Amino acid sequence: MTDVKTPAPAAAAAPPALEITDLVKRYPTGTEALRGVSLSIGSGEFFGLLGPNGAGKSTLIHCTTGLAAPTSGGIRVFGHDAVDGYTEARAAVGLAPQDLNLDQFLTLEETLDFHGGYFGMRKQDRRERVSELLEAFSLSEKRHDRTRSLSGGMKRRLILARALMHRPRLLILDEPTAGVDVELRLELWHYVQRINAEGTTILLTTHYLEEAEQLCDRIAFINGGQLVASGTSPELAARFGVAGLEDAYLELVGRKELSRGLVA
Amino acid sequence: MSALSSGRFTLTPAQIRFASLLRREVARFMKIKRQTIGAPLLETFLYISVFGAALGSRVGRLHGFDYVVFVVPGLIMMAWATNAFSNNSSSILQQKFLRAIDDQLSSPASPAELLLAFTLGGFLRGGLVAVLTFAAASALVGVPVHHPEVLLPALFLVGFFFAQLGVLIGVRAEQFDDVSFAQTFVLQPLLFLGGVFYSASLLPEPFETLTHINPIYYMIGLVRYGFLGYSEINVALALGVLTLATAALFAVNLKLFRSGYKLRA
Repeated sequence: MTDVKTPAPAAAAAPPALEITDLVKRYPTGTEALRGVSLSIGSGEFFGLLGPNGAGKSTLIHCTTGLAAPTSGGIRVFGHDAVDGYTEARAAVGLAPQDLNLDQFLTLEETLDFHGGYFGMRKQDRRERVSELLEAFSLSEKRHDRTRSLSGGMKRRLILARALMHRPRLLILDEPTAGVDVELRLELWHYVQRINAEGTTILLTTHYLEEAEQLCDRIAFINGGQLVASGTSPELAARFGVAGLEDAYLELVGRKELSRGLVA
Repeated sequence: MSALSSGRFTLTPAQIRFASLLRREVARFMKIKRQTIGAPLLETFLYISVFGAALGSRVGRLHGFDYVVFVVPGLIMMAWATNAFSNNSSSILQQKFLRAIDDQLSSPASPAELLLAFTLGGFLRGGLVAVLTFAAASALVGVPVHHPEVLLPALFLVGFFFAQLGVLIGVRAEQFDDVSFAQTFVLQPLLFLGGVFYSASLLPEPFETLTHINPIYYMIGLVRYGFLGYSEINVALALGVLTLATAALFAVNLKLFRSGYKLRA
């Protein structure tokens, strides 16, 4: 899991893993998905982004990974501009998207091998990395099967393996545990905690607040395309004057009547 | 495929990236080769059988050639054009459907690398079908090659042009109907009415003049000249216009890929 491709930046001047400044994204339909978002994620951090559906979480991720073009504002990944220096910026990012967007014509091995190739990995390195990841995600037996034959849980694991294939320094997980069973959720938690401990910066979006609480060093709330609060889980609770992260979240979305504290 | 593998040579990361993008396109059509290689070959053989053996004896000779020999150059060109087009339009649309294309789009690949890799996928499939068709037609009926210096650039340009057109339609398409509409209602009629199966000079008016405004007529004319040495068109002018049209289409596609049109939000 050591990073051999990209030299570590000088410790004194290490740029943040992700620095977003006044990011605005307006779609041609006129919808303003992001309305001036700024945030900074330090190298090695485990950062959670929470917010209701349509808050702008995926749009922020898409702007960072080149799947959407920012209308204005800046995005820098380890100091590289995500628009003007996209080659370096994207090379540092691994994206596990919310959708199970696997190419159904390819086998598991090809899915990982081609992905590694898109990021310039050499054949020998790709071969070793494919075996390592298939083993780590208990997919070795399916190596030569086409992706369409996989169960939902296996597809989810393969998507994570694909995101990790090129050893990204910043891993973006967009709702990685949506619709997965308890064992797989815990398995994924253990895995991402391990790679975070080994130095990979992680940006996680999730609807499961206990997941964010369990995994993330820092959490930001996004709503209506704006970042409304950020901090550690206790800091957020204190800021909203409530007992925990869930109540803080309910305050944010204006549904505090749903608080579990009010359940008889 | 072996020449594309990164193990034998010391390739730069950009070269590995491009080779991988192209390998993915080739892998897709090779996995379904009954449909992507076998079916078009069978179709061409059916044309040769019907128009060569069955009808050819009734038609007699055209401009000094057996009818089937007159038809084969157009069939070879049609095989390259339709396969290049349908490969790329289908491949891109299928990947867009499940958003699998995001894997390439979020990689460090440049718009030009992506465009060229998608283009060459269909170009290679069309070329493979065309070469196999040529080999089989040569064995069956004997096909001369009079002007390779015109034939090769003409076929390459036609293949590249239709590969580009396939990319354009695939990127624009939002449903499979959009792709089949372009193929069935635009491409196929233009190909059939462009003179694959007949000589425009034998048509009554206004059909002869109408044929002359069909750009595919000139493509078939170039390829037929390359094979048979027979021409109804200004070869140099047609080659020049085809080169310009191919370059213009590439420029349009590159602009679309750079802007992220219908690929990136």
